[in-house]
Amino acid sequence: MTAAPPKDSDLAVELVGITKRFGAFTANRDVSLAVRRGEIHALIGENGAGKTTLMNCLFGMIVPDEGQIRVDGRAATILSPQDAIRLGLGMVHQHFKLVPSLTVAENIFLGMEPTRGGLIDRAAQSARVRDLSRRTGLTVDPDRPVRELSVGIEQRVEILKVLARGARTVILDEPTAVLTPQESRDLFRTLRGFTEAGMSVILITHHLDEVMAASDRVTVLRDGAAIGTEVTAETTEGRLAQMMVGRPVTFGRKARAATGGATVLSLRNVDAHDDRGLQALHDVSFAVRAGEIVAIAGVDGNGQTELAEVISGLRRLSHGQITLSGRDVSGAPADQVRAAGLAHVPADRLVRGVDTRETISANILMGRQHQAPWARGGIIRWGIVREAAKGLIGRFDIRTQGPDAPVKSLSGGNMQKVVLAREFSQEKPFLLVDQPTRGVDIGAMEGIHDEVMRQRAAGVAVLLISVQLDECLRLADRLLVMFNGRIQAEMDPETATLDEIGLQMMGGRTSERAAE
Amino acid sequence: MEILSTIFTVSLVAATLRTTTPILLVALGGSFTTKAGIFNIGLEGQMLVAAFFAVLGSLWSGSAWVGLLCGIGAAVTMAMIFSLLVVTLRATEGGRGRPPNSRPGGRTIALTTASFGVRGSIGNPGIVGLPRLQVPFIHGTRPWGQMLSGYTPLIYAAIVLVFVVWAIQYRTRLGLYIRVTGEKPEAAESLGIRTTRMQHIASVLCGVFAGLAGSHLSLGYITMFAENMSAGRGFMAVAVLIFSNGDPFKVFFGCLLFGFADAVALRLQTVGMSSYLVLMVPYLVSLLALFALSWRQRDKVYRTMRRTLTASPRGT
Repeated sequence: MTAAPPKDSDLAVELVGITKRFGAFTANRDVSLAVRRGEIHALIGENGAGKTTLMNCLFGMIVPDEGQIRVDGRAATILSPQDAIRLGLGMVHQHFKLVPSLTVAENIFLGMEPTRGGLIDRAAQSARVRDLSRRTGLTVDPDRPVRELSVGIEQRVEILKVLARGARTVILDEPTAVLTPQESRDLFRTLRGFTEAGMSVILITHHLDEVMAASDRVTVLRDGAAIGTEVTAETTEGRLAQMMVGRPVTFGRKARAATGGATVLSLRNVDAHDDRGLQALHDVSFAVRAGEIVAIAGVDGNGQTELAEVISGLRRLSHGQITLSGRDVSGAPADQVRAAGLAHVPADRLVRGVDTRETISANILMGRQHQAPWARGGIIRWGIVREAAKGLIGRFDIRTQGPDAPVKSLSGGNMQKVVLAREFSQEKPFLLVDQPTRGVDIGAMEGIHDEVMRQRAAGVAVLLISVQLDECLRLADRLLVMFNGRIQAEMDPETATLDEIGLQMMGGRTSERAAE
Repeated sequence: MEILSTIFTVSLVAATLRTTTPILLVALGGSFTTKAGIFNIGLEGQMLVAAFFAVLGSLWSGSAWVGLLCGIGAAVTMAMIFSLLVVTLRATEGGRGRPPNSRPGGRTIALTTASFGVRGSIGNPGIVGLPRLQVPFIHGTRPWGQMLSGYTPLIYAAIVLVFVVWAIQYRTRLGLYIRVTGEKPEAAESLGIRTTRMQHIASVLCGVFAGLAGSHLSLGYITMFAENMSAGRGFMAVAVLIFSNGDPFKVFFGCLLFGFADAVALRLQTVGMSSYLVLMVPYLVSLLALFALSWRQRDKVYRTMRRTLTASPRGT
């Protein structure tokens, strides 16, 4: 009995030999997964590796073709989410299933409202939410409509919803995709609290750093099969990445030929205010030359958003001058900045990148719908648009049924590729790429980085804004660190060490900040 | 000035209430389907069929109340057919709404001919209309009695039902589930709320109200059935529903607006304005209301996207 596999009673959830086919496509092939009580078990894999399918089998959203599910050591038949909930499972979906017009309390108790005399007892409902908040430390205002909440709080509501239904095992599908780093840290702290209370957590993600920081064990899926389960403390990011992709991954700097030409974009003494009217940019000056990648690194919220908006004409500057291709575009609206030579990959693809209800073709066309050859005499020539879209789908490896598929049918990574395809194909002299690989898996990230390098080689001036320091180091010719709305330092990515950059990202005064 | 004082009188208030009632009743029914996420273009047809069968029921039984029940029954049957097609068989609402809508027009004409051997209208002294309610104390006094007393019960019921519908939608589980079904069906499904069932229930509730509305048309103020006597009121209700998003109180005020426009139109005819122009009034009001609303509700995504993506300088 020594060193035997964990006893059944130690396992909260066990999946044995799960196979799920969709037509000719096998989404899960003989996958087994054992989640212990009191652990955070990470499930990682690239987009399409079968993570979500596996969890949908566990949660009763779909029924596996083969295999067995055991919950608390007993064989379980899970045919619907209700069955799963009854067995103490809870799932926080990647796309929240909250009703915007209902209050927090109404959302949490939806389907199990306390009633009195045939009417919903709203007071009791709110009181129970407050009580739940107190016990879990997840503070929410029960009477606020969900539509007024930030995504971070929405996620909190989703978690409370799951807890209110008595979940002992919580499944979270890419929970940090929508969160700021600070919110992610808070989330992991909350999850750790759950496991200390004896609950189990299954964390679906493709961020290796999160796996390393938050999980006890990790199972890697690739092409629908479980590649292996590792103890987090005994593995490395490199090993996990290799398991995910199936080949060694290099995170090293991209090789490059020396280029460098005329100045394309220049900012001189630019100031700007944020939405609350506080000064967000202070005296920002820098230039980007043709064939050069300048990266803006920094902790999220240090003025990068405002910088991108000011350059792309979406935000007024309060002082200073911006020149693009020799034209003064300070304060010019977005269309004129684009006409002057801007292509822009915005940070939030769902808000500014794509219209999810439209087709891929329409999204590829957007912004050019008045121009030849896309339109003639005010009539859009869809034949030409579709042909172009087909070409770009091939070139950017967008996984889809075709140019007429709605963008909402795509995964996050493929949506991002649609944005990149539109912007990179414009052949503009200046390219502003803001968080290009947010929510994108490692394989796709590789492709996006290669595209950026190709743009550089073609002589495009590239400004990269990213909170991923390794991405900045990998791509940049010059590295600017932003802190509190200023350019804190310029560094050479060839020679700068992570510690030096980290120091500048904190304003160059670590000891003082630590003391605060 | 003289014209204005002839138009705006106590009896205009009374006329407004009368013209508002059928639109309000049918729109309150539609508020359930709107909330459940069904675009119910079948309201007009349900109302018309109810009007016809209410007259039949009244004629054959000699009781207005039996007539009312027949009207409701007919409308509910129509509503069930509609929801079977739209919800269960997943036909598109527009495509399915049109036939059930246009057919009753023809069907009621055909039935009129079959039952009574006449075309056009059924006016028969044997049709028993709904009684007039005399509100105690104020009945017969001027101007209040004239304004508030002496209507058929459905006019009072319609106003009370505004509050009842609101309470059902916002204070009961059934109403909550209907609203969630329309707003975020995947959220409802994930919690075990059966959205198709909710949509069927909403459809049937809608049928009950459309039945009340239709019966009011043919047994209320006048007691007769005429070809196409719903005269687009179901479509006005649809317009009200679009811009009120089905909220009962907004529905009420929207219907009052239409009822008022209708009543004014009738008055304008009496002072010698061209009836063709006058008959446009309610439709103009619908159009303007729709314009105002669609302008206000332009999708935020589109606004942001346009700002980001408009590449060509203005004027090219």
